[in-house]
Amino acid sequence: MKDTRRTRVVLGALLVVALAMITIDYRGGADSPLRGLRGLGATVFGPVERASASVVRPVGDTFDAITDAPGERRRADRMLRQNQKLREQLRSAQLDQDRSAQLHRLLGTAGMGGYKIHAAQVISAGQGFEDTVTIDVGSRSGIKTDMTVMSADGLVGRITRVGPATSTVLLATDQTSSIGSRLEASKEIGITQGRGRRGLGGGGATPLRFQLLDAAAPIQVGQRIVTLGSQGQRPYVPGVPIGSVERIEKATNGLTRTAYVRPFVKFTSLDVVAVVVAPPKTDPRDAVLPPKPKPPATPTPTASPSATGSPSAKPRGSKSPSTRPSPGD
Amino acid sequence: MLNPPEASPAGRTVVTAVVIAVTLILQVSVANRLPLPGGVQPDLVLLAVVALALVAGSMTGMVTGFLAGLAADIIPPSDHTLGRYALVYCLIGYLCGVASAEMDRQSAVPFFAVAAGALAGTVLYAGTGMILGDPRAEWGTVSSMVPLQVLYDVIASPFVVWAVLRATRRYERGERSRGDRLSVPAARYRAMSGRGGNL
Repeated sequence: MKDTRRTRVVLGALLVVALAMITIDYRGGADSPLRGLRGLGATVFGPVERASASVVRPVGDTFDAITDAPGERRRADRMLRQNQKLREQLRSAQLDQDRSAQLHRLLGTAGMGGYKIHAAQVISAGQGFEDTVTIDVGSRSGIKTDMTVMSADGLVGRITRVGPATSTVLLATDQTSSIGSRLEASKEIGITQGRGRRGLGGGGATPLRFQLLDAAAPIQVGQRIVTLGSQGQRPYVPGVPIGSVERIEKATNGLTRTAYVRPFVKFTSLDVVAVVVAPPKTDPRDAVLPPKPKPPATPTPTASPSATGSPSAKPRGSKSPSTRPSPGD
Repeated sequence: MLNPPEASPAGRTVVTAVVIAVTLILQVSVANRLPLPGGVQPDLVLLAVVALALVAGSMTGMVTGFLAGLAADIIPPSDHTLGRYALVYCLIGYLCGVASAEMDRQSAVPFFAVAAGALAGTVLYAGTGMILGDPRAEWGTVSSMVPLQVLYDVIASPFVVWAVLRATRRYERGERSRGDRLSVPAARYRAMSGRGGNL
């Protein structure tokens, strides 16, 4: 029986089922009747993926160690220093445990934006065109949909689907992702959109596109972008660093201006991430951004010593230690 | 050999299911995380479906393809419309099963069949995305991704095909006691394709 009547009947039946599923899921959108099936998938495959991730992790680490060898040395040094610093902090914190709780709260809001996070690990990545990953925390750890996911460097994405032990993260580079965002220092707002799987567009250097809503607003290469914060702090909490402007496109339609953004996060090698389970009480503004890099070989226009209304947000010159203009003034 | 081949249809089904499950897990937790140039990864599940269809015929091919596709649609990081992979893999499984009946003469044909299956599957999947108006499956993305993915698929195909044949060989031996000494994958296709689809 090579290609009998029965084979064709079965083929037809399976194709009809597949098409019906596509139709139902497509029409249903976010709350389609078939989401129970996905829940089943998360329940069945989630634990298996977790187990397999723990097996393949050493292999991946070896692979990474080979490719990243030059950078790793520097990173190890930095970690060593950081570790030392943290150890000292820990020691001083233990000295006065009474005050450490208050201090921690204070530091939390003032210093790092005060996000309450839940650490997680990436265990698998999506197939086809979507740019999604699975992380190893789920509803049992209190994760809900539309929570912000960040790493130590910046914004990663948001939770779209939650299983018992795993959840799915839509990365910021996905083409369906759009994030309300804000230019550093100025209050100019815009939308950051992904440019496709792993930032395929732009040769991988600029996988994000930032559209400034006000076409006349100043924007410069090197300016950094943070999240604006969504209504009710979901899906995106405010103040998470996204990336820095790499290239600005000439305005073509005059309504918006487009800039291409290099993200702070390396999306090809995501590993440890954090889910923001409680947003900060106040908008941290730019407090979470890494320290501004030194301006390279500043051709300082020292002719104008007094800071007269230059719209530039770049630190000009290095006469005084605090040259960064604050937006409020 | 750990255990002697048992009742062959049930055993075959189990082996096929295990092969698909393992491939799927490897796909999402290993292959999709490889930092390959272009941000594209080989589709191991598609290759496994093609290999199984070439070995076992159109009936097994399409049922395996449908179930593997359904699993690929619901495995956690997936975020596309449910049923797309089920449709694509089912069709590819059927076509490769039908093709396996005609290609038992030339030894190079199976490799072309795998490549053609990979190409057809990738294009078909992109096509369903375009029909549904998926913003991810824009022409710019698809046109740069598809050739690269087919290339990776072809590179990965000998390994996947070898592994699939290795896994299914035990049951083949149980059925065919004639003892074929052909260990080349192409020859194995030839040896097995005559059996057709007996699910």
